[in-house]
Amino acid sequence: MSFDCQETKRHVHEYLHNELSETEIDEITAHLANCDSCETDYDMENLINGAIRESCTEVPPQELAEIRRIQANGGSH
Amino acid sequence: MSGFAFNGPTFGGRRLNSKTMTSKPNEQERSKIQAFEQQALPLMPQLYGAALRWTRNPSDAEDLVQETFAKAFVAWGQFQQGTNLKAWLYRIMTNTHINLYNKRAKDQAKGGLDDLEDWQLGSAESVTSLASRSAELEAIDNLPSETIKKALHEIPDEFRMVVYYAVVDGLPYAEIAEVMQTPVGTVMSRLHRGKKLLKKLLAEYAASEGYDVTGEGEK
Repeated sequence: MSFDCQETKRHVHEYLHNELSETEIDEITAHLANCDSCETDYDMENLINGAIRESCTEVPPQELAEIRRIQANGGSH
Repeated sequence: MSGFAFNGPTFGGRRLNSKTMTSKPNEQERSKIQAFEQQALPLMPQLYGAALRWTRNPSDAEDLVQETFAKAFVAWGQFQQGTNLKAWLYRIMTNTHINLYNKRAKDQAKGGLDDLEDWQLGSAESVTSLASRSAELEAIDNLPSETIKKALHEIPDEFRMVVYYAVVDGLPYAEIAEVMQTPVGTVMSRLHRGKKLLKKLLAEYAASEGYDVTGEGEK
């Protein structure tokens, strides 16, 4: 089985999130090496994923963090 | 006396850090509290991140995290050791959020969120030129983090949460399905649709910031 552009583009998220079989990954990797159009699509999704990860780095406020501190101190107030 | 924040299993006062144990816990209770402290509480920063995506504001997110931990503590006896605790907590958070905001009723009224299964058709972007998509890629790459977050908060909750769990948390589809209580196919569909909506919004933001997302400037 060989992946065409439509099939390759359809699997972009499954590929990036490691939800495919090894055979499927190999097929797609081979296709991407020879197809600028699909590669650009994959780059775009990957870029957006990275941007999302970077934008979601909030740390809990002090009040919530306090609970963990209490725990770390072995229960002393 | 344990400094643990719960006011016994009934979780009186709602606040996790009320530190008001009303009676001395027995041995069984102590070991339950200790296991919960050691296993569940360290996951709080991740729960807070997910709560922020559900609620879109820090104050509600804090309430949701506290409510989730309160319910999780009460249900702690039902947690099967060795299974995925984070997914279990996320599931409790999903239900808590839905109940807090009576969302289920609203969603049923709204309906049709998942009816449009267009992800099978592939990316719409395929029809636009490569130059145009390369320009779009560069423009989106230049957007500040706050803009990305703004776009994320604009897409429907169910899409946003699937995107968050898959992209930020790296949860496998099967676990996301469990957390969201949907079939795996729905997870795939929501991820595809969520990302597509995000990409459209980000391209619009980039264009409004003056970036060339058409590729025309390269000709």
